[in-house]
Amino acid sequence: MKTITIISWRNVWRNKKRSLAMIMAIAVGLWGAVMTLGITNGMMAERQRTTIEQHISHIQIHNPEFLKDDNIRNHIEKPEALFTTLDAAPEVKAYSARTMVSGMLATTTLTTGVQLIGVDAAMEDQTTDIESNIIEGRYLDVEGRNLLLIGQTLADKIKAQVRSRVVLTFQDEHNEIISAAFRVCGIYRTSNTTFDERKVYLRQSDLLAQLGADYMVSEVAVVLDAMEETERLSASLRASFPELEVRSWSEVSPELGYMNEMFGVMMFIILLIILLAVAFGLVNTMLMAVYERIQEMGMLMAVGMNRRKVFGMILLETSFLTLLGAAGGLLLGGITLQLIGESGINLVLVGGDSMQYMGFSSVIYPTLEPSFFVTLTLMVAATALCSALIPALRVMKLKPAEAVRAE
Amino acid sequence: MKIIETNNLTKVYNSTVVPVRALNEVSLAFSEGEFTAIVGPSGSGKTTLLNIVGGLDKPTSGEVIIDGVDITGMKESKLIDFRLHNIGFVFQSYNLLPVLTARENVSFIMLLQKEKREVMEQRAEELLRQVGLEDKMDVRPSKLSGGQQQRVAVARALASRPRFILADEPTANLDTESAFNLLDIMQQLNREEGITLIFSTHDQRVIDRARRIVTLVDGAVAKDDLNRPVA
Repeated sequence: MKTITIISWRNVWRNKKRSLAMIMAIAVGLWGAVMTLGITNGMMAERQRTTIEQHISHIQIHNPEFLKDDNIRNHIEKPEALFTTLDAAPEVKAYSARTMVSGMLATTTLTTGVQLIGVDAAMEDQTTDIESNIIEGRYLDVEGRNLLLIGQTLADKIKAQVRSRVVLTFQDEHNEIISAAFRVCGIYRTSNTTFDERKVYLRQSDLLAQLGADYMVSEVAVVLDAMEETERLSASLRASFPELEVRSWSEVSPELGYMNEMFGVMMFIILLIILLAVAFGLVNTMLMAVYERIQEMGMLMAVGMNRRKVFGMILLETSFLTLLGAAGGLLLGGITLQLIGESGINLVLVGGDSMQYMGFSSVIYPTLEPSFFVTLTLMVAATALCSALIPALRVMKLKPAEAVRAE
Repeated sequence: MKIIETNNLTKVYNSTVVPVRALNEVSLAFSEGEFTAIVGPSGSGKTTLLNIVGGLDKPTSGEVIIDGVDITGMKESKLIDFRLHNIGFVFQSYNLLPVLTARENVSFIMLLQKEKREVMEQRAEELLRQVGLEDKMDVRPSKLSGGQQQRVAVARALASRPRFILADEPTANLDTESAFNLLDIMQQLNREEGITLIFSTHDQRVIDRARRIVTLVDGAVAKDDLNRPVA
């Protein structure tokens, strides 16, 4: 076996140019695969992260009726027990208890539908990164009453800026219409322009004062230290609070999961196409190598090398070529991911800012799990074995008497 | 002692299209220690006979018996193993493995026989010395002349301690000096060690050295000249 391995290894280098060309082709193909997958995975991971951190959190808890009708009367009854449980849960990083109503925001020129989110500024700041997304003005923790934090898309739409006055109109729990004037204290921008157009933040105390209500909580958004704890904690909360609707992020935003799956399938298909191209190249190279050495193969069988060993020699040669190319491609891909993964790729220059309309950040941080490289190596090994079959089977059909006399 | 017998060997190619009768009921016997040259015009069946005796091809009818073993109906896997342990081959085009050195080419056969490493190394060196290549042991075939390569091929053929060696036109690609050197070596092996040699050849230089000449014409034995005086 050792000698067959040595012969196979040396055979790889008999035609250095051809072997190097094949190795480089494999390396470039795999580097391309790693980059494509890394960029796509980075896009999806970033979308998932920003959606969770900026918008939906890991877990959302509501009164079940609120999901059918977001009227303020469908609030969580006696939320204190829930808060106690969340305070005691070690996996909970932070949570925000929000008062929410749908309403209209009006200026002198325009009226538009919005969702008003009344928050405790400190709790909200620990749960989402809304404060870090402020591009103008201040967060809700400043002095003053009836202050608003609006998204840049909404601000552009209503032509508002910091200190602009707007009128909010909404209904209380008795369906009475309430109108109140508010002043814009800050403008934020997230990666989702639809969110920015709809969601308006204000102090919970200001909203409750307008509603004439005691403490009412429409939604509790929970952020965890580790995403992997989501399902386990969700199940635990459901068991403890069966009267509440507890949803994980994948239930709040199922399209996030679907999109991940869809991209996963697409990437698998792209990877298969790349590996198919690699396989064709390998088959071509190895068939040439076999045809050039028919006489030699015939001699080997004539002097007493069984067909299994000759078959194994071809497999080994193909494997060496493939693994060298794969090692180069994966290493290059890993290094490139490491370098670009920190600085990110800014797609604004190539029209990437429109991606925000679909909830994608225009700056992508390519990333791949280490386990992916293991999977890709196994797929490449399988490609090598399959590619080796055609030339190896060709060798198996050789007749030694004819082969030794081949030109 | 007879080590090879062929009984009514016939080989027909393309039997369903235009049949070509390459061998026509050839019956021969070869004794241990013989140096035989099989001669005849092109297409007379020399190579076909060697291929069938060497187990590289199967006859259409007839049998080949080597040391009492009928190899004609043997399964391929057993035949490959039989060749490995009993038959040495020297080809016209040398057919050395270009990625191995002279020493490795000779050792390779013993490796297939699963010989011990120390025995392999010692025998490879011994054989290469016997063929006059003690200073070329670690050189690859691309750096050897045609004659030197053929001598490595002879050493390789001897490495497995075969019952006999089959050589198909071994001097065809050699210049005069190389051909004589090779023949000297082979004749010496035949005389001193009793190695049985069967050559297929057109080369008069070979024919002059052979003690037995079998002449084939149109696939049949036209003449079998035993116990000739040799050069």
